[in-house]
Amino acid sequence: MLLICGTAPRKDLPLTQGEASLHGDTLRINGAAIPCTQGTAALVSAACKTLEYLEQPSPRVLLVGDDGTGKGSRLLYEHLIGNLPRLAPRVVVLHYMLPVMGLMRKVSESASKAARRPFMIADAAAMYAAKAAGIARDFDLFTPDLSELAFLADPQATHPAYVSRHLFESDSTRIPELVAAAYANGSAARTLVVKGATDHVAQNGRILDTVSEPNVPALEAIGGTGDTISGMVGAFVHGGFDEVTAARVAIRANRMAGLYAGATPATRIWQVIEVLPRVFADHLDDWARQAGDASMERSAS
Amino acid sequence: MFFKSGKKNGFEGGGLVLFENVEEAMSGERSLKADGIENRLVAPPPELRRGCDLALEINLVEKPAVERMLRSRQVHFIDILPMKGDAELLQVVQVTDFGEAVMVKAGNMKLTFDKATGVVLNISGGGCPDIPYLHAEMLAKPLDRAPRPKEMGHTLCSLMLDRAYVQSLEIWKNGSR
Repeated sequence: MLLICGTAPRKDLPLTQGEASLHGDTLRINGAAIPCTQGTAALVSAACKTLEYLEQPSPRVLLVGDDGTGKGSRLLYEHLIGNLPRLAPRVVVLHYMLPVMGLMRKVSESASKAARRPFMIADAAAMYAAKAAGIARDFDLFTPDLSELAFLADPQATHPAYVSRHLFESDSTRIPELVAAAYANGSAARTLVVKGATDHVAQNGRILDTVSEPNVPALEAIGGTGDTISGMVGAFVHGGFDEVTAARVAIRANRMAGLYAGATPATRIWQVIEVLPRVFADHLDDWARQAGDASMERSAS
Repeated sequence: MFFKSGKKNGFEGGGLVLFENVEEAMSGERSLKADGIENRLVAPPPELRRGCDLALEINLVEKPAVERMLRSRQVHFIDILPMKGDAELLQVVQVTDFGEAVMVKAGNMKLTFDKATGVVLNISGGGCPDIPYLHAEMLAKPLDRAPRPKEMGHTLCSLMLDRAYVQSLEIWKNGSR
């Protein structure tokens, strides 16, 4: 099971659990209709499209309304703490939720009580909480953008809003340095997928791949284009790809989807997500083969 | 022991509210608890101590909500600071010109608006749960009629979005319409 956990921008949504399906620009989960916009809805939607293409079951979703007060987030944390071992997902993606260090630590402890610890991915504030709580190394994969990578590289910061200025002002040429610092601080998951003008995939402190084509600058402005990468990575890992191959394919698919959608700064994220099946049909086999070859070369070296 | 900072009672917030006197600190604690905002009384570390020797530990991420709540209850406080690291919020703002649109980045938040109409085209970045909510509230509205993130948001991400919003409004009013 791929289990995706996060919040939705609706005050009235109770903790909702079920299989997700995408219908145009609307996500349906156990009777609830959620617009496919920036945030966990975009992540779930991209995972739905990916799993559908891979002919895999839809993702299981735990979604709760939260307008920022953290009330819904706390319900979500408590549910995970109490139920993760029983749910026994193969892959867990933790996403938009109020970062609460103590609760995130308990979620990770709960995951370890499962017969087999799930493959744990954190993005957005779930990643902030894991780093701030000092448990980043317990996670398998993080998906920061450049400003969030600066946060991971700053040993003192507990939120990206308090990152040291000299780290925040780093441009993409300093990504290797920031990646090294994040690993040295123990603030990185085993694998990092750094999203930006040039995407980077790193594992255990070593950069394995960079991708900068096709270059679609408008993607940075579109709310949700980082969430879609996390959703695709989770789905590909669930579909049997190793995490580096999953990351390599997801970052290429995201860029290509921007190109196919003719992305502009006004494009909505569902318009990018809806072209993913065409992107997969045209490129997935080639990318997976190239990534597999690279993986074999890496193993041989 | 009651005031000792640590992890044993299960709450780690990473933020500190400093007060002039003990009465205000106690009043702050009661007010935040009444509003469901997690906090606890602590002794501030010497290097951060200003005012009295009693402070409130809060979840730093909730700084805007705490500030708003304490002000609405007229509880005076000196400052809200992180317990470690840089004491100053990021002030850096970066601007990208897309031709017909401008993207303003503050910290981990980005706001993009149409140069001609000032309409909010997209909001990206961030990770706290008020961001998708603010995204839904602000999208497709002109900047001067969109709700201000600082007034609706609860978290540091909303504070960063507010910085991007203020800068966007200034750019639009000064140059784009």
